[in-house]
Amino acid sequence: MNKYLLIVTTLFFSLSASAQDKVEMADLMRSNGKIYTVVAVCLTILIGLFIYVFSIDRKITKLEKEQSVK
Amino acid sequence: MVNKIWWKILSFLLLVYTIVAGFLLPVPRLNILNETIRNLYFHVCMWMGMMVLFAISFYHSVKYLRHQNFRSDIASSSYAALGSFFGILGYATGFLWVNVTWVTDQGQSIGSVLKEPKLIGAAIALLIYGAYFVLRGSFTDIDKRARVSAVYNIFAFAMLFPSIWIIPRLVGSLHPGAPGSDSGNPALDRTDLDSTMRMIFYPAIIGWTLLGVWIATLKIRLELIKNKNIINE
Amino acid sequence: MISSFDEFYYFALMNQQTLALLKKDILLEFRQKHTFYGILLYIAATIFVIYLSLPESPDAQIWNSLFWVIQLFVCVNAVAKSFLQESKGRMLYFYSIANPAQFIFGKLIFNVLLMLLMSLISLCLFFVFLDNPLSNVFQFAGIVILGGMGISLVFTLMSAIAAKAQQNAALIAILGFPVILPQLLLLMKLSKVAFGEVFREGALFQLAGLTLLMDILVIVLAVILFPFLWKD
Repeated sequence: MNKYLLIVTTLFFSLSASAQDKVEMADLMRSNGKIYTVVAVCLTILIGLFIYVFSIDRKITKLEKEQSVK
Repeated sequence: MVNKIWWKILSFLLLVYTIVAGFLLPVPRLNILNETIRNLYFHVCMWMGMMVLFAISFYHSVKYLRHQNFRSDIASSSYAALGSFFGILGYATGFLWVNVTWVTDQGQSIGSVLKEPKLIGAAIALLIYGAYFVLRGSFTDIDKRARVSAVYNIFAFAMLFPSIWIIPRLVGSLHPGAPGSDSGNPALDRTDLDSTMRMIFYPAIIGWTLLGVWIATLKIRLELIKNKNIINE
Repeated sequence: MISSFDEFYYFALMNQQTLALLKKDILLEFRQKHTFYGILLYIAATIFVIYLSLPESPDAQIWNSLFWVIQLFVCVNAVAKSFLQESKGRMLYFYSIANPAQFIFGKLIFNVLLMLLMSLISLCLFFVFLDNPLSNVFQFAGIVILGGMGISLVFTLMSAIAAKAQQNAALIAILGFPVILPQLLLLMKLSKVAFGEVFREGALFQLAGLTLLMDILVIVLAVILFPFLWKD
């Protein structure tokens, strides 16, 4: 009984291990370096967004100063 | 602290780190999720950010009832607005993610996905804050609006937490790591999360939340300028 | 601190003024019978419409969901007027004779009683029109009482908020539904026990306890928050 269980579990583990290897990931994108393009695009958007928010922040600060002067 | 610049730069750096490390570092290879597991750094952070923003809104509502300061009312409504915005983004991104994982690969119908406890919780939160803004809109008297909406905010937020705790015990979950689910995906459950992913996930939460807080403070300052004559300082 | 808090509100609960306010609400209900009969008619009409629109009597699951959804709408209608009917002048009068905790307690108790009555009536009507799929009627009646209490407590506070906004029952529904949703799901789950579904050991009491805890949470929140709605 025990032996049988052992065989089944080893079989199961080897199966799941082979399944692990076959999981499809974007490996090609990584190997030919195109993933860096994706990162660059996202970074550009992020930086643009932050510059925009920063400029709004500055404008509001200026408005606040103007109001406190009045 | 709020007007200092360092935490805005910190938010920027953390998000740059999130994008660079989030796309380039290795993630666990898993069926169904595949490469989309990286969504954890973006989609889940929206929910976390939403909860934090709602919590801050709650805090300001309590403060309003204690001190009757009009600033707190503006703050609480601004944080609630930003929180709802994050929630909508979370729903939208979640919808995209659901389409390629649960619906396509697990064969769930959209109907069964919508009954998922985390989605119910999120829907309740969004409905509550939708109601909050409807309530705000129905007043003309500013003082009354501030008071009554603060009361509703506190009540609803206090009811939200037991709800979020109760619902997963009533409905089975598709989300990994939740009680009642048996899919061992390495996300959300603290003990279950892959260590490299954790290294990116936590900074990502902080980064996105700080960005949300920043935009909310901008909104508050703008409202304060607009209502200068009411506040009279 | 905690004990003095408890004592204070225990006192308020048992207080003469609370009872007087409760009595006034009941008296008013008797005087203005038309609103009371209005709700009764509402229940009867709704259930009759369901009866006519369903081809045959619904199975247990649907019966259960229908019942709770009807409860929800009955509650919105029954409780809605509790604050809306009070005119400004009358509120001012109450303000001068009672404190907010007493006032909200009076309202809460009255609405719970009203809702219990309505729940039991709609349960009977459900039996008449839509059959009886229950395996244990008394258990279900108990759950209905528990649930009616919870729903009416939440909607009393919502009614107080909506009254401040000078709004109709629609606002109460908008405000209350997201808040009541988890409790409603809890009740639907809990009431499956009366349909003969077997629960895990202790799960039944856990669910019932949770419902009670939610009720207590609502009462505590109502007592803390109502004073802020009160002063004008």
